[in-house]
Amino acid sequence: MYRLITLNVNGDLRTVAVKPNTTLLDVIRDKLDLTGTKKGCGLGVCGACTVLVDGETMSSCLLLAANMEGKCITTIEGLEEKGKLSAVQKSFIHSGAIQCGYCTPGMVMSAKALIDKSPNPTEAVIKEALGGNLCRCTGYVKILDAVKNWKTYSELDEPEMKEYDLEDYKVVGKSLPRYDARDKVTGRAKYTADIVLPKMLHGKILHSTIPHGRIIRIDTSRAEALPGVKAVIIGKDVPDRQYGVSPPRYDEYVLAKDNVRYVGDEVAAVAAIDEETAERALELIEVEYEELPAVFDVYKAMEEGAPLLHERYPNNINTSVDHHFGDVDRGFQEADYIKEESFTGNFTQQAPLEPHASIGDWQDGLLILHSATQVPHYVHYMLANVFDMPLGKIKVIRPTVGGGFGGKAETTPLDLISCVLSKKTGCPVKMVYSRKEMFLHNRGRHKQYIKMKLGVKRNGEITAFESKIFLDGGAYTSFGIVTVYYAGSMIPTLYKIPNYKYTGRRVMTNKPACGAFRGHGSPQPRFAFECLLNMICDELSLNPVEVRRINSMEADYHTCNDLDIRSCRYKETLLQAVEESGFSEKYGQLNDGHGIGLASGGFVSGAGYTIYRGQVQQHSQKPREPFQKKSIFPHANAIIKISEDGTQAVLFIGAADIGQGSDTILPMIAAEALGLPADRVRIRSEDSDISPIDLGAYSSRITLMGGNAVKRAAEDVLAKLFPVAARLMNCSPEELKASDGFIFSDKDDTKSMEWAEAARKYFNDNSSLIGTGWYKPPEGLGGDYKGATVGTSPAYSFSTAICELNVDISTGKVDVKKFWDYHDCGTPVNPMSVHGQVEGAVVMTTGEALMEDMVYNDRGELVNPNLHEYLLMTIKDTPEIFSGIVDSYEEEGPYGAKEVGEGATVPILGAVAHAIKDATGVWITDLPITPEKILKALKENY
Amino acid sequence: MRDFIIHEPDNIGGACSLLLEFGTQARIIAGGTDLLVDLKQHNIEISHLVSLAKIGGLKSITTIGDEIRIGALVSLNEVAESLTVKKRLRALCKAAASMASKQIRNQGTIGGNIASAVPSADLPPALLAAGAHVIITSGESERKVPMSNFFYGPRKTVLAVGEILTQVVIPSIGKKTAIIYKKFKLRGANALAVASVATRITVAGNLIKEGRIVLGAVAPVPMIAELASEMLAGQIPSHNLFFRVAEAAAAEAKPISDIRGSREYRKELIQVLTKQSLDEAFKRATGGGD
Ligand SMILES: Cc1cc2nc3c(=O)[nH]c(=O)nc-3n(C[C@H](O)[C@H](O)[C@H](O)COP(=O)(O)OP(=O)(O)OC[C@H]3O[C@@H](n4cnc5c(N)ncnc54)[C@H](O)[C@@H]3O)c2cc1C
Ligand code: FES
Ligand code: FES
Repeated sequence: MYRLITLNVNGDLRTVAVKPNTTLLDVIRDKLDLTGTKKGCGLGVCGACTVLVDGETMSSCLLLAANMEGKCITTIEGLEEKGKLSAVQKSFIHSGAIQCGYCTPGMVMSAKALIDKSPNPTEAVIKEALGGNLCRCTGYVKILDAVKNWKTYSELDEPEMKEYDLEDYKVVGKSLPRYDARDKVTGRAKYTADIVLPKMLHGKILHSTIPHGRIIRIDTSRAEALPGVKAVIIGKDVPDRQYGVSPPRYDEYVLAKDNVRYVGDEVAAVAAIDEETAERALELIEVEYEELPAVFDVYKAMEEGAPLLHERYPNNINTSVDHHFGDVDRGFQEADYIKEESFTGNFTQQAPLEPHASIGDWQDGLLILHSATQVPHYVHYMLANVFDMPLGKIKVIRPTVGGGFGGKAETTPLDLISCVLSKKTGCPVKMVYSRKEMFLHNRGRHKQYIKMKLGVKRNGEITAFESKIFLDGGAYTSFGIVTVYYAGSMIPTLYKIPNYKYTGRRVMTNKPACGAFRGHGSPQPRFAFECLLNMICDELSLNPVEVRRINSMEADYHTCNDLDIRSCRYKETLLQAVEESGFSEKYGQLNDGHGIGLASGGFVSGAGYTIYRGQVQQHSQKPREPFQKKSIFPHANAIIKISEDGTQAVLFIGAADIGQGSDTILPMIAAEALGLPADRVRIRSEDSDISPIDLGAYSSRITLMGGNAVKRAAEDVLAKLFPVAARLMNCSPEELKASDGFIFSDKDDTKSMEWAEAARKYFNDNSSLIGTGWYKPPEGLGGDYKGATVGTSPAYSFSTAICELNVDISTGKVDVKKFWDYHDCGTPVNPMSVHGQVEGAVVMTTGEALMEDMVYNDRGELVNPNLHEYLLMTIKDTPEIFSGIVDSYEEEGPYGAKEVGEGATVPILGAVAHAIKDATGVWITDLPITPEKILKALKENY
Repeated sequence: MRDFIIHEPDNIGGACSLLLEFGTQARIIAGGTDLLVDLKQHNIEISHLVSLAKIGGLKSITTIGDEIRIGALVSLNEVAESLTVKKRLRALCKAAASMASKQIRNQGTIGGNIASAVPSADLPPALLAAGAHVIITSGESERKVPMSNFFYGPRKTVLAVGEILTQVVIPSIGKKTAIIYKKFKLRGANALAVASVATRITVAGNLIKEGRIVLGAVAPVPMIAELASEMLAGQIPSHNLFFRVAEAAAAEAKPISDIRGSREYRKELIQVLTKQSLDEAFKRATGGGD
């Protein structure tokens, strides 16, 4: 029942045929190809789809296009005038308000509507206007700044470069705006769901409606008969190989072959001419299950006779860790004081604003996958394994990605199913998760049940520590084997712990699988540890700062679990955060209901070992190799090609920018190393055909590992270029240096020439000027015990966070006022980006501390699979954040850099809990710390 | 969303007859912020939508004497920002401003907020406290229904098939009277009420002449806490009195437990919000306050 309507979009009259149930959002995106407007929830909560209707902001996902005739609609594409950005757009770029960019168009539209009406808005007014726009990356700090100071920022011709005090470097240390910010602020950046390929079909998945059962019969005939349906597939149509993350625990089929194990498990899939038809078809598929008993509770799952999820995991125990370093019995004997406490975490989810999306395109002899992924190489590897074909016959393209946080760090059902459907139909098949499916699929944080025991001397010096953790893993392994190790291995990296015992059990239940989420496995144990340490300080009347200081990790320290800490400025993060915040004057001194709290954290700068063992080749081609204590292949690889006229360098590296900014950091490192201004390096990181392997955005690894590879590639370029330049200048190559677009002699001031000139000459005489570089972590990282690889890293970051907040004693409501955070990230390659990561982490993790919680009912169904009831913090909940960087240099990192992205989340939970204790006198040990729990605890205690 | 047919009549009569014709197969769409969420999630199934967008006369806020008439299609933001409303019933503006987000407030309407009859809806408590009524038309005839008689269950109202809510009428609030709306929510924006209270107090001399306490999100419908309200009449205001009234209101509340809060917690919130709103309402009724 199509009808023609005429819409006024960005000043143009556009006539389109729509069905009455088509939303304005779908018309803008699908019919008018204005894909700048995004879809993040489809239910009016996230604001990604914000457009202006007659000058007012509206959520286009909740408007019917048929109702819009005669209205003036403005989308993000309508803000530019003849290629000139509007003031707000400029301001967003220059202030660093853009990370993954998925929220950006909506944010900008809200900001634009506000500024058009009130050019000098107060902070409160801005927060009101932007309250309906969620951002998962930035913590809103720079967005607020962008809108508040839009005039100042937009008048800057050149973006302001707040120089960091690094005199040695020309590019490293500068707060440059993101290289891709312009594309993101104009709506030009193409995310996977924005891409349209010729003949493209749309796929959808039928999910299990029961938590545990055997599939008896599936009848797809009615679905297949529906006009517009091109293929319907079920378990028998997918390969017999299982997949997953960690080879010993591959336990998932592309579609369920026999059993379903959680509400949401993949049962069948459809490809059709459009999403609506595919969804209709799903309703016509009949599935008959034999329902099996299900188990949802970690402890019940381990009992004798509990329903078993997988034969291969007896008692539903998926992974067991029993680590003992030193001698805890002796350590506890030496202690003057021992405290034991239990803590419970929460199920939280990465909830990137961009839902997962893939386009499978199986052509003759070549499989092309577009995927919103953090780990193109691991997806590539997994496709090769599941479909049993050489890596060389597969190409993985990672378009712009709208946030990941770990959720996109593994191969998704969409990646695999879209390929199967494409093979069957001969057409590219696009598949995009709805927000609800994002929750059904999950792979969020494990809920951890933690018991900890800490022994200290009278002065607070740690003598022994014991930790016992049960992780609720859900129905499949996903990253879980790594998670359970991380939950133990990161604890001894922050304080010197002589004796340490860790018992970890990852348990399977009939819920969606949990996976890797920013800080992987470590935020909840760190929360528990920091709380326990602060409790001991309370009970022994010790100063929490002093106790941390005396136990503090130091540079060049070998931990009890055989990790090698190199650079470490933990103590500086602690002392500077304390000083900046006035912690010592405030702690225990604020009025009732006001509190301040402190906690620390740290993380790896890249995992020491790859996720799969052995060489880069198809799994089926090789026997499983024994573990060797070294990298088998380089984790990061880069190529730099200089344009033939010598003016531009193009960097090729398959590192995944998912919003964290590697597409900016890596070219900056290349520019520094080449001796070129920052704007003379471009990057191509999106296509496996073009760019060599980098393992991707996980374990906070790209700056250090990718950066080193890039730096070496640049050095390789110079090694080829300098002899040519030396000949032209009549000097020896050894005395040459390159900086800021020039090559000059170190010895003779008169000898200098333009970089481009030398490079042009090089091409004329020798053909293309190309350099390559790679990085492998050092050999021999870690101990020799089982699981010793998890937690190994070339370098470690450290940080301290201090939180000040108010608690309304009558309702339990928490109002977070301010955060101070100091991070040891080594050299900050781009300080603005470092602060952006910290701000985002503070807000994300404060939300996890206070309100984020996936709640399941007694049928294993998620009660809140939407962003209205799974609560992310909005700009109105955001505290003021001070982010500081301590002076630090890491020998193993490029120009001394290490990590910030994941580590910044680690101290936050503990700092919030401590501040709430300071404000109210009560410790809440189970997350999230909701108003209701606080009020209950207050009633019980007074 | 399933397929449906959308009708855009340009007069009320036309809209009513379409609604009559298609009966349970049809729904009115105003802003659509409630309805489309339901349709997208397949919570309801219908095959016809009757849009009110082209009907004139439903989009204005007018005054007749001290009475305010708000057209059903007036948006939530227009309510929040209306000077006319602010002057007479600021609590309604505050309630509207506390809702959803700027985007949703630009789309959603006052009529939709009332007619959807969601127990946690923000506008009904203040309207009940103000003694407002709605005007309902069937095309042929009009009827006037007090807000207090409008709801009879979650998502259930007195609207019959073929009827449209056209206006909300707020009577003169009178002198020495104040109405305060308090809402407890779990985050700054896009958060539904966990519990809410609208309190009305009229003072005479140093006595409270009468009071009314309306509770939201703690019963199948927005409810007047009758016993608590009665406790106010003729009393000398005091901390103690307000405390007891708040306790009584909490006792009258009939909340359920859900993802936003347990039954017990909601009762506690009602007590806190009632006390706060009484304090503020009294202060304002006696000329103090903001
Ligand atoms: C993200 C989000 C946040 C929200 N937050 C809040 C909140 O904080 N507080 C709150 O109270 N609500 C909230 N809502 C719900 C909703 O936005 C409001 O209730 C809004 O006022 C509904 O108005 P509408 O015009 O959009 O209604 P519609 O969706 O158009 O209609 C709602 C219902 O009322 C009927 N209807 C509409 N108009 C009439 C009429 N004139 N006569 C008879 N029947 C009619 C429709 O048939 C439908 O059944 C939220 C919604 C979303 C999506
Ligand atoms: S997609 Fe419209 S608000 Fe989220
Ligand atoms: S930048 Fe806001 S969601 Fe990523």
